[in-house]
Amino acid sequence: MSTKSFDAVSLGIMWDRLVSLTDEIVSTLVRSSFSTIVYESYDLSCVVLDAETNSIAQGTFGIPAFIGSAPVTARHMLKKFPAETLKPGDIIVTNDPWLGTGHLFDITMMRPVFRKGRIVAYTVSITHLPDIGGNGFGSASTEVYQEGLRLPICKLYEAGRLNELIVEIIRTNVRVPEQVMGDVMANVSCNEVGGRELLAFMDEYGLDDLKELSAAIRSQSERAMRAKISEFRDGTYRNRIKVEGFGEPVEFVVCVDVKGDSVEIDFDGTSGCVRAGVNVPICYTNAMGLHAIKSLTLPSIPNNEGSVAPIKVKAPPGCILNALPPFPTGGRHAMGHFVTPTIYGALAEAAPDRVQADSGMMNLITFQGRRRDDRAFSCLYFAAGGYGALENLDGWATLPHPSNMAVVPVEIWEALTNMTIESKRLLTDSGGPGRWRGGLGQEVVLRNDTGHTLTMLGMGNRMEFPARGQFGGGAGSLRVHAVDGKPVHAKGRIEVAPGARITVTEAGGGGFGDPRQRDRESVRADVLEGFVSAEAASAVYGAES
Amino acid sequence: MYRIGVDIGGTFTDFALSNATGGRMAIHKRLTTPSDPSEAVLAGVATLVADSGIGIGDIVDIVHGTTLVTNAVIERRGAVTGMLVTAGFGDIMDMGPERRYDLFDLRIKYPPPLVPRRLRIEVDERVRYDGSIERPLDEASVRAAALKFRELGVEAVAICFLHSYLNPEPELRAAEILRAAAPELVVSTSADVFPNMREFERWTTTTLNAFTQPMFDRYVKRLEDGLAGAGFTGRLYIMGSSGGTLTTDAARRYPVRALESGPAAGALMSAHHGRSLKLPNLLSFDMGGTTAKGALVKDGQAIKKYFMEVARVHEFRQGSGLPVRIPVIDMIEIGAGGGSIAEVDARGLLRVGPRSAGAMPGPACYSQGGTRPTLTDANLVLGYLDANFFLGGKMKLDKAAAETAIAENVGKPLNLETLRAAWGIHDIICEDVARAFRIHATERGFDYRNSSMVAFGGSGPLHALSVARKLKIPRVILPVGAGVMSALGLLVSPLAFEVARSRRIHVADIDASDFASTFAALESEASGYLKRAGVADADIKIVRHLDMRYQGQGHEIEVTLPASGTAAGLFDHLGELYGSAYEKTYGLRLDEPTEIVNWKVEAVGPTPSIAEGHGGKAAGGADRALKGTRKAYDPARGDVTDWPVYDRYALAPGAVVKGPALIEEHESTCVIGSGDAVTVDAHFNLIAELSA
Repeated sequence: MSTKSFDAVSLGIMWDRLVSLTDEIVSTLVRSSFSTIVYESYDLSCVVLDAETNSIAQGTFGIPAFIGSAPVTARHMLKKFPAETLKPGDIIVTNDPWLGTGHLFDITMMRPVFRKGRIVAYTVSITHLPDIGGNGFGSASTEVYQEGLRLPICKLYEAGRLNELIVEIIRTNVRVPEQVMGDVMANVSCNEVGGRELLAFMDEYGLDDLKELSAAIRSQSERAMRAKISEFRDGTYRNRIKVEGFGEPVEFVVCVDVKGDSVEIDFDGTSGCVRAGVNVPICYTNAMGLHAIKSLTLPSIPNNEGSVAPIKVKAPPGCILNALPPFPTGGRHAMGHFVTPTIYGALAEAAPDRVQADSGMMNLITFQGRRRDDRAFSCLYFAAGGYGALENLDGWATLPHPSNMAVVPVEIWEALTNMTIESKRLLTDSGGPGRWRGGLGQEVVLRNDTGHTLTMLGMGNRMEFPARGQFGGGAGSLRVHAVDGKPVHAKGRIEVAPGARITVTEAGGGGFGDPRQRDRESVRADVLEGFVSAEAASAVYGAES
Repeated sequence: MYRIGVDIGGTFTDFALSNATGGRMAIHKRLTTPSDPSEAVLAGVATLVADSGIGIGDIVDIVHGTTLVTNAVIERRGAVTGMLVTAGFGDIMDMGPERRYDLFDLRIKYPPPLVPRRLRIEVDERVRYDGSIERPLDEASVRAAALKFRELGVEAVAICFLHSYLNPEPELRAAEILRAAAPELVVSTSADVFPNMREFERWTTTTLNAFTQPMFDRYVKRLEDGLAGAGFTGRLYIMGSSGGTLTTDAARRYPVRALESGPAAGALMSAHHGRSLKLPNLLSFDMGGTTAKGALVKDGQAIKKYFMEVARVHEFRQGSGLPVRIPVIDMIEIGAGGGSIAEVDARGLLRVGPRSAGAMPGPACYSQGGTRPTLTDANLVLGYLDANFFLGGKMKLDKAAAETAIAENVGKPLNLETLRAAWGIHDIICEDVARAFRIHATERGFDYRNSSMVAFGGSGPLHALSVARKLKIPRVILPVGAGVMSALGLLVSPLAFEVARSRRIHVADIDASDFASTFAALESEASGYLKRAGVADADIKIVRHLDMRYQGQGHEIEVTLPASGTAAGLFDHLGELYGSAYEKTYGLRLDEPTEIVNWKVEAVGPTPSIAEGHGGKAAGGADRALKGTRKAYDPARGDVTDWPVYDRYALAPGAVVKGPALIEEHESTCVIGSGDAVTVDAHFNLIAELSA
């Protein structure tokens, strides 16, 4: 069992309290945020670090991109402002992609928690800001300098006093200063709430510091993860996938070494960076790698330094998965999301009952224009492709993976933009065939009824390389963007004339296992519901018609 | 002049009778009759009336709460339901929220839509975002759809068109045509059921209404006929989810509004106790066999919301159920009850629930074949439950079986002594409940530390003081009739109806007269239901709310307009009202333009009062109620000590019981820890003051 002072009951209770404390910080942050991507997709994270900057609890909600980043950022911060020089009321911030979380949009904020004159912990919050200046959210830049304001590690508050100059710098550099500062201040107050709650927690359990509790949480997590990893078949597993870039495709090459109770993931051989804002700093590659292993082992284990200890993620400096300045990184997720399926593909033989076939992934499109009443808008449209199948589980229709977002209701989208959505339909036969079928993609038809020309900024993928199946399962259908029936590239900037129709076709998920082994009742049900056509049922699934 | 509350639960149907002025109370409990629940209702009413020595003609109101609607959805026992939907959008029901509610669990689950894809028929029509018609309804295709539905064996149809919350005409016309072409179809329209923006949720709500309508209609009819046959001449009301009662007409039209009506009544009873004890801010804590439910009472009223999930398919996880938009008491549901199973979790630590042993096989101590340790097993091992006095002695428990189950499944793998493991199970449940309350309250800006708790349900009193201590809540009320709280709550629910409509508009774009006339339309719709039930104009209270936000934010906050003043007069103060509501929640104000999203009006009739207490005749000090002592676990000492055991029914007003002590009633046991003290108030409620 754990350390002497905590048994299986008390450790569990205190641990759950710590996690719930971070959840409380998250909920404060989400509800007051102006950033669509924060309140719809939880593009944020809140973390508690111990005095040695080991992460011990992270908010349950929050996208995978932030696993493991907070302690690294904290160490950079403490290098500049050593712990022994910090005072109560100090708040340190940065949005540097290479010190923080991989793109300028995310601000990372850290606040030391003092108890009896000593630092006992740090709280960290990270959110995606509504704007950061520069070219805006997208992949249009060729250097990080075009992507907006880059704030070095600095003290936003010094001993409780706000540094007005930093506020002014932020306000001067962004398009919506009120909203951006609203979100920055929401981060400030959630860290204050977090610190207060943490001290109350320590009072309640009579803890002078978090040393022992931190050690117990980390060792318990590490042990549980290692035990689970040991269930993988040992070996060296490889995979390579192609991802659409700009011009030449990019290749991800991975080698996953499973040895006993640890995993090493190495992206040696992966293509170099590109002159578009989709390059991925190593912090993001690391986070997606940790996410992949966690989802294959112990999805319910809370994130902390211990749960990630058995996993190492590496990529050679300068490759697209370890991008260095000044390569632009604004849309790092467009590439970075492929890290997860690359690893699943590699580990298929090591854990055949756990891996997922590739997903159709999600599609984020920024529309900028004017409404009928001439008010300007810039709105993020979201649509999901199909979910990859797993053993014993058909892929869900239109469900994103590995990242996450929520549908924008038709009624809300039309009111926001005055565009008209003509239809939103599932695509028959778009799910990769398999013993367990891939999830269906969809087709959305939008019409520019705004009376003005619209700009469409895309970062779509799977236009050339579909979601692959697993163990004999077929691939899902491809993603297609078209304007008035003519295919257009899903990445980059497209002008859309008034009255024009935009058709967004979302990719299907990959199937799992041989479709001819699919249970006959499921084949019949799919045909009855129109998820699979009668022709495909007989040609691909071998159904007797 | 008597009134009866009847609450149908999974196992028991509970009854409470009071006279209209609050003098007499009687309680009755009998087994639910699942094949036709009205049987138990009719039999129970007859028994209650006979036992009380009154005639059925003396009953003026029967207020009825039921989980029938919820259960029909969970068990998918509803009508064959079809959907008539705007062309191009029928698949929205399969697409759902396009969002994972768990980022790491690859084997995530979603409930299948209530209407399968092959029973959705698309028709050509289109309303724009501003309510104007882009393409008129293709009436011929609606007629064709009626025949097709008949062919497919469809009994109920949900008509779901885009933007119908702004312009309901096409839906209404389609309903007219369907009814004329196929009169046997039961039809619900989405603009009528709940005219709110967000098509997936509105349409799901409408399909749920259609799915349950034929069944609920038949049930209410059977009940009305049966009651009339027995000589009942008063009015029957159905409890709604939002804490107000519905006329049977309204309930038959909107069965979706009767989801969770039993638990809502429990929360309402908590609010009632709070009002009579002058404790306006409360946590209402109800814990039974499978789940615990919590609600917050603020300024004497249970907090409401306009969204809930039904029939969650994945460990009670938020996001794994069908989303429904109706006015409901804002309740949390936690997978924590007597049947919750204790096991070793993914971390290698102890976890309890959300999996439950249910009624069959039930806890190990029930001797029905269960071998997994449950919360009830732990409470028995700890001595909080008496093996010979469970359910008042109706069921004998096997303590040795409970000990074995805990030792084998928890103690050995986690290296804990059996007693320590049992206490761990008990304590973890208390932590889980406290944590859920803490998050729920924080999200709503509710200061739980300065509130009190009302606890009930079979397992509530066993855990309430411990949960309260974890939350630093100083006072816990353990009311009389913990096992029939919902039936009692039905008797204190006012007749009420609420309408809510989406109409999104910038505050700068609207004037006082438009503002007032939007409200006026909603007010006449809401109060119409009460007037038709005979409530006088002067007795109808109108409450207006707006959901507002700063432009660009994703979440609205509810602003309740002051009761005094006309809508037009309040318009000028809107900025100030929103600013102060925002500041209350987030601690700051912003200099940003605001918009209105939803408009809501409640019409509420007079709140009935009921008798207090259990009608007992106990007198004297606590020692007269002492039954004996029992070995029970004292966490302060980490060991078993002798605890005095009291008979709740023999405790008289003014009596004081000091902890550690156990106070037993038929359906539950109150655990009073060391240092805590309980006083019996004039109405026989137990008021526990917690030591700091």
